[in-house]
Order: sequence, then C-alpha cells, then structure tokens
Amino acid sequence: MTDLAEHVSEEAHGDHHDDDHGHHSSLGLSNMKLAMWLFLGSECLLFGALISSYLILKTRFLTELLAGNPDVIAGIDNPELVQEFIAEGSVEPLWDIPFTSLSSFILLMSSLCMVLAHKATEEGDYKNQRIWLATTAILGSTFIGGQIYEFTTFFAEGLTFDGSIFGSAFYTLTGFHGVHVTGGIIMLVSLLFLSLRGKLQADRSETVELVGLYWHFVDVVWVLIFTIVYLIP
Amino acid sequence: MTDATIEHAEDMHDDHGHNDHAHDDHGAHPTEKQYWVVFVILAILTAVEVAWSYLGLHGAALVVPLIVMMVVKFFLVAGVFMHLYFDTKILHGRVFWWTFAAATTLALLVYFIVFASFDQVF
Amino acid sequence: MAIIEEPLALPSGDEALASNPLGVFSRPRNATGLKDWLTTVDHKKIGIMYGMAAMFFLLIGGAAALAIRVQLATPNSNFLSADQYNRIFTMHGTVMVFLVVMPIGAAFANFLMPLQVGARDVAFPRINAFSFWVFFFGGVMLNTSWFLGGGANGGWFNYAPNNGITYSPSTGIDFWNVGLLIAGIGSLTGAINLITTVINMRAPGMSLMKMPVFVWMTLVTQFLLLFAIPVLTVAQILLLMDRVFDANFFNVAQGSDPLLWQHLFWIFGHPEVYLMILPAFGIISEVIPTFARKPIFGYPFMVFSGIAIGFMGWGVWAHHMFVSGLGPLSVTAFSVATMFIAVPTGVKILNWIATMWGGKLTLNTAMLFSIGLVTQFTIGGLSGVSHAIAPSDTQQTDTYYIVAHFHYVLFGGALFGFMAGFYFWWPKAFGYKMGEKMGLWNFWLMVVGFNLTFGPMHILGLQGMPRRMQTYDEAMGFAFWNLVATIGSFILAVGTMLVLVNAYASHRKWKAAGRPDVGPDPWDGRTIEWSIQSPSPEHNFDVDPQVSSLDDWWHRKYAEDEHGHLRRVATAEELAQPGNGEGVHLPAPSYWPILLAFSLPIIGYGLIFTLWLCIPGAFLLVASMYGWSLEPADDLDIPHDHGHDDHQPVGAGV
Repeated sequence: MTDLAEHVSEEAHGDHHDDDHGHHSSLGLSNMKLAMWLFLGSECLLFGALISSYLILKTRFLTELLAGNPDVIAGIDNPELVQEFIAEGSVEPLWDIPFTSLSSFILLMSSLCMVLAHKATEEGDYKNQRIWLATTAILGSTFIGGQIYEFTTFFAEGLTFDGSIFGSAFYTLTGFHGVHVTGGIIMLVSLLFLSLRGKLQADRSETVELVGLYWHFVDVVWVLIFTIVYLIP
Repeated sequence: MTDATIEHAEDMHDDHGHNDHAHDDHGAHPTEKQYWVVFVILAILTAVEVAWSYLGLHGAALVVPLIVMMVVKFFLVAGVFMHLYFDTKILHGRVFWWTFAAATTLALLVYFIVFASFDQVF
Repeated sequence: MAIIEEPLALPSGDEALASNPLGVFSRPRNATGLKDWLTTVDHKKIGIMYGMAAMFFLLIGGAAALAIRVQLATPNSNFLSADQYNRIFTMHGTVMVFLVVMPIGAAFANFLMPLQVGARDVAFPRINAFSFWVFFFGGVMLNTSWFLGGGANGGWFNYAPNNGITYSPSTGIDFWNVGLLIAGIGSLTGAINLITTVINMRAPGMSLMKMPVFVWMTLVTQFLLLFAIPVLTVAQILLLMDRVFDANFFNVAQGSDPLLWQHLFWIFGHPEVYLMILPAFGIISEVIPTFARKPIFGYPFMVFSGIAIGFMGWGVWAHHMFVSGLGPLSVTAFSVATMFIAVPTGVKILNWIATMWGGKLTLNTAMLFSIGLVTQFTIGGLSGVSHAIAPSDTQQTDTYYIVAHFHYVLFGGALFGFMAGFYFWWPKAFGYKMGEKMGLWNFWLMVVGFNLTFGPMHILGLQGMPRRMQTYDEAMGFAFWNLVATIGSFILAVGTMLVLVNAYASHRKWKAAGRPDVGPDPWDGRTIEWSIQSPSPEHNFDVDPQVSSLDDWWHRKYAEDEHGHLRRVATAEELAQPGNGEGVHLPAPSYWPILLAFSLPIIGYGLIFTLWLCIPGAFLLVASMYGWSLEPADDLDIPHDHGHDDHQPVGAGV
C-alpha cells in the first residue's frame, strides 16, 4: 500500500499548510470574495464612464438648447418641456424628485434587508434568511417597477431615447443600472430557491455575502446617480 | 477534510479558507443593531439631501453639501454593508479595500481629467 | 488528522457520481481527442489553445498586412480598391492587437503563471475555459465580417463620427463593435481569474517579492485589463446604441462631441499598449538571466518599474489626441507625463543590459530573440519619446512615422519577446526543443525583414506620407522606400512562418527518434516550473513546492562552496518531481464554459441582423448560467464534506 502511505504523508503535508493559511491560499482570503471585489473594481470604471458620458452629453445638450440649435430643440418631443428647460437653464423640470427619492429610499432599504439576510444565514436562522432574501428581492423589484414607470412618464413627456443626446445618455445610464438591479434580483430569487431546498446553510453564508456585495455595489451606484443626475442641476 | 493537498482548484474549492475565514470575521462583522443604525443614518442623509435640493440654493452652496452627503453615504454602504471596515481587520482583508480604493480613485482621476478637457462642463 | 477515515476519490467511482440537478448531462470525464479540448479546464491546455488561436489569427492579420504592402509597393497601384484597402488595414490592426498580441500574452499567462507560482491550476478553472472560448468566438465572429458585407473600415480606433451609421453604413463596424465587446468579456473574466490566482494561490513561501518577474508582469497586465476593458466596453456600448437603436451619443447634429469617443477609446487604448508589451517584458526577464547565467539585475527595480508603468499608463492617453484641439494645459500635462513614462521603461532596458553584462551568454534562439526585443524596443521607445514633444507630434500624427513607431514596439518588442518565450518554454509544453538551426534562420530572417519593413517607414513618415493612404503618386517621392518596405515584409513573413515550420519539423524529428525525454530542466533554468517533468504533467506538481527564495529552483541546484564560488550541488534530475501524482485531484472538465460562451455570438449576430436571434441566444445564455451554477464543482469530491452540489454559488458565472 505505498499508495496509501503517500496519501498519508500528503495528508500531513496538507494539514501543515492549513495551519498557516489554508492550502495554496497565500493570503488566506476566499477566492470568490476576492474575485467579486475585483469585478466590482472593474464595474467602478464602467459606471464611471457612463456617468461621465452622461454629464458631458447633458451639458452639451443644454448648451446647444440655450444657443437655440433647431435640431436639438426638435429632438425633444414636447415644445412646452423645451420652454421649461430653457427657462430653468437645466433639465430639472423633467424630474419628479419626490418619486425618485422614494425609490432611492426603497433601494437603500433593500440593502439593509440584504445584510440582515446574510446575518441570518451566518447564524443559521433560515426562517429569517428567507424572509429577508424575499424582502430584498421584492424591494428591488419595486425599484425596477418605479424605474419602468419613470421611463414611461418621461417618454410620454417627450424625452425619447433616439431624439436627443440627453435622452440617449439618460436612458442608457439609468437603464444600465436597472439591468444590474435586475440581475441582482435574479440572483436573489435563485438564492431563495436554494434556501427552500435546504442548500443554503450557514456554511455557505459566503454565497449570500457575495450576492450581497454585488447588491450593495449596485445600491452605491444608485446613491451616486441619485445625487449627480437628479439632485444636482 | 480528507485530501487537503490533493483537493484541487475548482471554482469554490477553497472550503477551508472559506470556513476559517467565516470564523475569523464572525466576530468582526457588525451587529444587527449597527446595521439598523447605519440604515437610519442613510435614510436621514437621503432626506436631508432631498430637502437641501429644495432650498433654492445655487452654485457651490447647493452642490458641495450634496456631494459631501453623497460621499458619506457611499462610504457608509461600502464600509458597513459591504464590510470593508470590518474586513480590514481580518488578515490580509485589506486587499479588498485596496482593490476598491484603487478602482474608485482611478475612475475619479481619469474621468475628472476628461471633464476638465471639455471646458463646457466646468 | 492523518488517518483517512473514508476512501479517497475513486478512479472509477460511479457511485460517487453526482445527481444532475436539472437533468442535464454530467461532467465529461476521461474525455479524449476533440471533446477533451472542447471541455477542458486545464490551464495548460487552455494556454496552448490561446496560442493556437492567436497563430490562426496571425495568419489572417499577416495576409492582410501583405496585401497592404503589395498595394503600396508601387505608385498608383490598383491592386486593392480604396474601400478594400480601408477594410484591410482596419482588420489588420484590429486582428493583430486584439486577436494576436493580447491572446499570446494570455497564452503565456495561462500556461506559465500557475506553473511559476506553484499552483495546480488557476483559481477558477471553468471561468478560465470560458474566457478562452469567449475570446475565440468573439474573434471568429469579428472575422466572419469578411464574408458578411466586408470588414470594418474605420481604422482600428474607429473614430466618431466616422464610425456612425451615416458615414459607415455597412455592417463592418457592427462586427468590429460586437466582436470586440464579446472578446472583452473574456479578457475581463480572465483578468479576475489570473489576479485571484497570483494573489491567493502561490506556493507556500512564495512571498510577493519572491515571485518571478513574469508573474509580476502578468499581475500588472491583468490589473490593466481589469480597469481598461470596461472603459472600452462603455465606448462600444454607446456606439452600439447609436448604430443599432438610433441613439445620439456621437451624433454631432444633435450637439454631441466626437471627442468623447476619442477620450474613452484612448483611456482604454493607452493602458492597452502597455498590457500588450508587459508580458513580453516578463518573458525576456526570465530568458535573459537563464542564458546569461546570472540573476536578474535589480529585481526590485524590475518589479517596481513594471508597477510604475502600470500606473503611469493611465495618465498619458491624450498624447494620442494632441491634434484634436485639447488646449495648451492638457497638451503640456500629457507631454510631461509621456516623457516621464519613458523612465521606468528605460530602467528595464538598463536592467536587462546589466544582467547580460559580464554573464556567460548562450546565444541560442530564445536569447537572440530577447536581445532583439531589447534593441528594437529601444528604437521604438525612442521614437515614442519623440511623440511626447507636442509640436513634433503634431507633425508626425497620422504619418508613417507613427506606423513605424508602434510596429517597433509591438512587433519588434512584443512579438519578438513572444518568440523568445516560444523557444524557451516549448520543451516544457510539448516535451521537445525546437531546432536551433532553423531557429537561427527564424531569428535572422525576422530581424532583417522587420527592419527592412519598418525602418524605412520612419523616413516615409518624416517625408510626410500619411498613414492609411491607399495609394500615392510617383512625384511624391515615396516609391523607393515603399518598395523596400514591401520586400522586407515578405522576408518578415517567411521568417515569422518559420516558427510554425520549425515546430512541425522538430516534432517529426523527435517522433522519429522515439520521443527522447528532454528532461525536466533542459536550459538549467531558475524558476520552479523547471522542477517538474517536461512536458508538464497534467497535475503540475506532485506536492506543493516549498519556495524559500527568488529563483528558488536555481538555489536548490547551486550553492556557494567555502570559497564563495557557486557550485552545483544537485542535478535537475535528482531534484525534479517525478510526475506521478497519484491521488491528485483535478477539477473535472465541463461543457458549460463553451456553451455559455457560444450564446454570446448568437446574441451578437442578433444585434447586427435581426433582434429575434437574440431570443435563442439569451435563452442559451440563461440556461448555461444555471447549468454552470448548479453543476457540482467536482463529481468525485462530492461525498466528502458537504451536501450535494454545494460548491458553486449562484451567480459565479456572472
């Protein structure tokens, strides 16, 4: 049984490593968690580019609008809205701040539910885990519902996707964020199913933490978008 | 815990690392109460932000406080909800923080320079 | 803990087979032939596939290059029409940058980095396979544009507004856009995977400052990719919105500013050029010490200059835009930054020369290619610094001087480095050395051909010949040097092809000789990949190597005697791991990476031709993600500690 002997010696070898850092894991960090952070770092540059494109194009839009460029004026499908834009010198008249504030609040609240779901998973409290996962998913869906409502309202008010650079930039930025939220909701629902099948136990709390990291990141991006796009004229 | 050395790299193979780590940061993670406190602060900040935008202020008086509040919210979510403040206390957990900090700093600097070259923005 | 309480993984282990949660197929095991390659998650096979795919694309890009040179060989030539010429130079640039140089870098990173850090695989083997297939399908999709309405025609950087539907109505730019978006996903997942591997999976004892220089350069490269790819992705998504959904991002009539594209493209584009050259720097930093028989001179400087290049590469992008009217402040700032970035590069050149200084040089093919890189990259670097001087750059922009510059750094630099790498690590990958005699022909033909082709372009550029000009009149005085360049390009093509011929011929010779064993360490190498058998066994290391110093393998073979002279204390054969990794447990292959990757070009074609095609594509995408997530990470390991299929968190495929 040389074979067995070799296994045994490898056992000892392996345990020795476990003592320092966990085998083969030079920093002893979880691979998945590190990978998720790297991914989120990459997403920072992605949303950074989208937000800055939006800001540049919105400014260009207003400059041209105030300069009376006829093509740009014709790009908004609502002469009254154009007049309001010009009178205010900003795109503020379009926003419905109370409504967006409410949906921002809902997304913030979903982040709280997400950490509570993680906490419950760590503690092996599966009832609360399911409650909080479901709540997070529902709040996220509410946010998406709000965004769909907002898009249809803006569209009806004359801001089309293909009419103006402002419309293109606004819908692309917020739509991209919406797609990220939707992806998060799908992950949450999948987690909920795993949990109901008894496959999301305390030893897998990291899975919940990873989805949570993604979810909070999406929330953080909305914190930026809410202030930069909606509140600052 | 059979074949520790032999067990190999697969997507989620670092069970040991993961378990150890779960023990490590178990104590380090914030309590439920802390989460609620942070949430309340975030909610208040959001309310203040919205209120501030209704005060009819212009220029820096409007923008600077909004940006400050935004940054505070950003760090609260990243630091507490995403455990960055707490992960730095586990061994080498700082790597997460450095990755995120490098990415945000880089994004800020690079895109700021882009703005600066579009003179209409500033 | 040393007592085994339950049986280890069973080789036949049918009862250990996992249930299939969705009723889908089980993980392919003991696959052979084509199926093995299609489903493999082995980082070495994936590295080799990256290399083969890149060679395939090199033939396409090379054929395009020769067509360009034939067209320009004589004045007023009609070999190619203006439209064909535009498409061919655009595709040449795009293919060479994205589908040749970047993937060869990825090939070395994939094959070599886990071996050099002493790991058995990368952190996420399935994601690794996915990265390759996504790159490959993206590249193939890009090249199908040749048959579906012609290639892209806007230059490799596709400036707005010329890339809009108004000025480029054919589908070429859509293919460019979507194909590169897809390939970019592969680069991004690859970057995450390789960074995690370097940071988290090094052998015991290998601290960061004991990593081989190549591993360092891989780490910097992957960080550059991680942060640069999303910027290009955004630029391309905006363009996609413009071209497919009538958005106005680059629509000047609606008040947009086409400079937005230039900024986004070059914020990506300049880190891009460093991430193409750094792997080659890493390669020759391994080759030169081996054949100079001296440790690398100034290892910490080598590492920190690489990191410095990585950082500074983010602050120089606008030197591509000096003629776009940036304003004096921006131009000055970017000029200065560009001059500064020459410093860390110069440090590297100095270090290579100092490594060779006083060494016992073995001038074989790998070493010659490395010296070729040092020399030619220096020329390219110097012409690069001349672009930092904005007034001079204003003259040179869009002339052949620029073409000469970037070919000196990318061909004379990156590709020569890759050639050195091929010759150096070929025995580790395939078990035989490539022939030296043909290798020397390979090197010298390439050097002569290369300098004949691109040297004269400096002169042509200073004479004022614009790049991308389809033809020229005899009276312009460009004819002579263009003819020289064309002759050179054919010599270069023959020289480059010799590496493939050499590989084939050497393989035949090796087979005819009864496949003699080349030994674990044919070059008397320095790093731990030479401590295992050649070709490297599937499981890499029988036991985790214990690393105690930089160039660990060298220090196990040599030690100082009482007089302070280095003496060999053991042979490689005595020290090398025998390669009998019984009981070593490797991740099982999987169908999902290739299936998931395949869904993306389906969506891509849908975006270009009919959105209906996106529906089956999206269906395959979602189904593969779930299949991937629910697939047990490893069939054999299941009964050990946890419940079923518990290794894979949902969303890991995202």
